[in-house]
Amino acid sequence: MTTSGPGNTGGQQPSPPTDQTSAQAAGSIRDRLRSQPTDEGMPGDNRDSGITEHGFTQTDSRAQLHGEGRDERQFGASHPPEGVEAPVHRELTEAEAKVAERKVAALFVLSFLGVLGFIVTFFAGEEQFGEPGSTIFTPLLGTFMAVALFGIGAGAVLWAKTLMPDEEAVQERHPFGSDPAERASTAEALKEGLAQTSLPRRTLLRNTLLLGAGSLALLPLPFVGFLGRFQNKETKLATTAWADGVRLIRQNGTPVRLGDLQFGAVESVFPDVSHGTLMPDAPTLLIRMRPEELNLPPEQQEWAYQGHVAYSSICTHLGCPVKLYEQQTHNLLCPCHQSTFSASDGGKPLFGPAARPLPQLAITLDAEGYFVATGDYKEPIGPSYWERNS
Amino acid sequence: MSKLDKKKRRQGKVGGYTVVLLALSVVGALYTAVASPSSAQDEQPARSQSMAVEEGRDLYLSGCSTCHGLNLEGGSGGPSLIGVGESAVIFQVESGRMPLNAGLQQAPRKKVRYSTEQIDALAAYVQSNGGGPTLPAGSLTDGDLQLGGALFRTNCASCHNFAGSGGALSYGKYAPELEPANARVIYSAMQSGPESMPRYGDNQLTPEEKRSITRYVEYITAAEDPGGAGLGRLGPISEGLVVWLVGITALVALTLWIGARA
Repeated sequence: MTTSGPGNTGGQQPSPPTDQTSAQAAGSIRDRLRSQPTDEGMPGDNRDSGITEHGFTQTDSRAQLHGEGRDERQFGASHPPEGVEAPVHRELTEAEAKVAERKVAALFVLSFLGVLGFIVTFFAGEEQFGEPGSTIFTPLLGTFMAVALFGIGAGAVLWAKTLMPDEEAVQERHPFGSDPAERASTAEALKEGLAQTSLPRRTLLRNTLLLGAGSLALLPLPFVGFLGRFQNKETKLATTAWADGVRLIRQNGTPVRLGDLQFGAVESVFPDVSHGTLMPDAPTLLIRMRPEELNLPPEQQEWAYQGHVAYSSICTHLGCPVKLYEQQTHNLLCPCHQSTFSASDGGKPLFGPAARPLPQLAITLDAEGYFVATGDYKEPIGPSYWERNS
Repeated sequence: MSKLDKKKRRQGKVGGYTVVLLALSVVGALYTAVASPSSAQDEQPARSQSMAVEEGRDLYLSGCSTCHGLNLEGGSGGPSLIGVGESAVIFQVESGRMPLNAGLQQAPRKKVRYSTEQIDALAAYVQSNGGGPTLPAGSLTDGDLQLGGALFRTNCASCHNFAGSGGALSYGKYAPELEPANARVIYSAMQSGPESMPRYGDNQLTPEEKRSITRYVEYITAAEDPGGAGLGRLGPISEGLVVWLVGITALVALTLWIGARA
């Protein structure tokens, strides 16, 4: 709280608990200084009136700082500016200080009790509080830990607010530059060092060093090249692992046969390729409804197989998993923003922020009666991106 | 829940007559069941399938036929029940969804109107007309808990929430929370695919896998919340809300206190 430069301890005076000081301590120093008339040269004020609006001295000099002990907190002659309400601040009486001390001490003891409670609870173990996985054990630990931490923190704050002196002080900045002698000697040392490297004389060494070190600067250039246009966008974002003849498998790896799904059934399926169930763009929903319930757009008529339709389960809005299938309405609902798609109408969006239909995967049966895709999705799945064509 | 209650109350007025009628017919059916052959109670285990079908038919005619038709053929109020199987009956009646009070987006859970024995009789009657999926004999929850968890997260969690707390669907429909559902209701729901729920046949989820899922649902809905308040088990939504409202408020208050002059 109190700051004092090395040279100004001489003039520093602890504010004595007198009426005079208590009145003066009010308001910020800057306010007080600003309110003062320019009083350079006035006896009792050594300040160069250099406090600017920004609050630091511009005109002070080394001589002043090293001078005969300037006290920055010289508000002996200043008064709170008119109209500024001065919050009352005074030193606590001995009795008040005692009370404050007890309060802080009580908080510290509370903290200690919290630690104690935590340790006791921890070692007493869950069994003491009923079944393992008891609903009391963890909250109790948390409460004790909170009490322990709160006690220390609140005690420290209360301590600072009541018992420590509350006064604002300004320490002026030192000049930034070193003194000329130091500068000169440093320059001398650098020059001497350069001479000792023999670089000025040995031009071959100097030139090859420049060549080697200079070319190092070119190393990051290839990385800059990566910041250009998006590489391989056609394969990275616009395609998935689905391809002609790739089987539809469940999460446990088993392929799906015709007849596995009843009417009104839904199954999460993945491409039967290496790591197919882990690919973020591959999850697909296979849905079975009665063929007469399907109302697919003409170009998607061939993509269904005997009432089975497959849609990407990545929402075209922001990519959440669209897996809430209502078998009576054939609505597919996205849990994130309530985008609703119609599984019977080719994935057409019905409600919500999604604008594009869910991409449909064309499926058929292979020779062994398992469901296979007849190719990849005909459009990029998932949310829009800049380079997307449609 | 409170929203549901409100709905229920509203239906209470509308469907008051229906309830009275239903209650009367149920009491009547009970009376005939109890009064006519008093020995039927004693021969409980040996009760033959045909007797269950007979009893179920009586219950059906008095309680269900208004909407579903005198011969399960369906009508203005309800779909045909031919071929839906015993699972559909067990799910709908044992969860209290049927008999329905009023036409809504979706049938809510209500107080169960029939005893388990009556439900089995109803189920036997519906099963005898066109067949359909049936509950397997034996325990419905002796599957593999870990497998059940994996299957639940793949197939069920997208609608019913990872902890079975349910969630919203489109246009006012919802996936119900699973905590009130017993094993028979959970298992038969997978088989019959009620309302919005997809149907999971035995070729898609084997009986073993269904038993695993049922076991997992029973486990996860009964599990305590070891971290304290579960906050509806909705995950980051409710937890984040609490952190923002309670945590940030506390932090702001503390900051103000620290910043205040002594």
